Amino acid sequence: MNVLVVVLLVVAVAAVVISVAGMAVMTNVYDRMHYVGPASMIAPVAVAAAVVAREGLGPAGIKAVLVAVVVAATSPVLTHATGRAARIRELGQWAPTDDERGDA
Amino acid sequence: MNVWLVTAAVLLVSLIPVGWVCLRAEPMDRVVALQLASNIDALILVVLSEALGRDALFDVALLLALLSFAGGLTFVRFMERWV
Repeated sequence: MNVLVVVLLVVAVAAVVISVAGMAVMTNVYDRMHYVGPASMIAPVAVAAAVVAREGLGPAGIKAVLVAVVVAATSPVLTHATGRAARIRELGQWAPTDDERGDA
Repeated sequence: MNVWLVTAAVLLVSLIPVGWVCLRAEPMDRVVALQLASNIDALILVVLSEALGRDALFDVALLLALLSFAGGLTFVRFMERWV
């Protein structure tokens, strides 16, 4: 069981480190947004699994799962809202521009 | 020193590049970095809760996850046009 906990925590740390490195290296906000994904999906699930592996499905395990569910559910919504705001800030509108629609 | 404390320490160190982006990048990039930092902070609190044996930190992590979502949405809403 200890080995499983260590493996899960290593997976979580690796996901976070990759996310942070990618976000720091990228220069475009749209590219940076993609690197939030592993840290908001893989890492919380791995940490919650490690807590459940150690504590079982008691109060601590259930709370860890709840934190993972909240982070995994809200992060994509926030990422989409950020992308939308970045586009509106850049182009003044959310809808496709004439160039993007390919209008003559 | 156990594996949970080491994990929390590594996650804390990983906040340094995120903080750098928050300080130096364009405004929308800072919002993305803030979102990532909030997620990492929630994980740090969960890991510290296990490391220190304090179940109350799970509640703090849950609250942080919920409030950072609401705060992030508020930030991006204002940054669309007004900031």
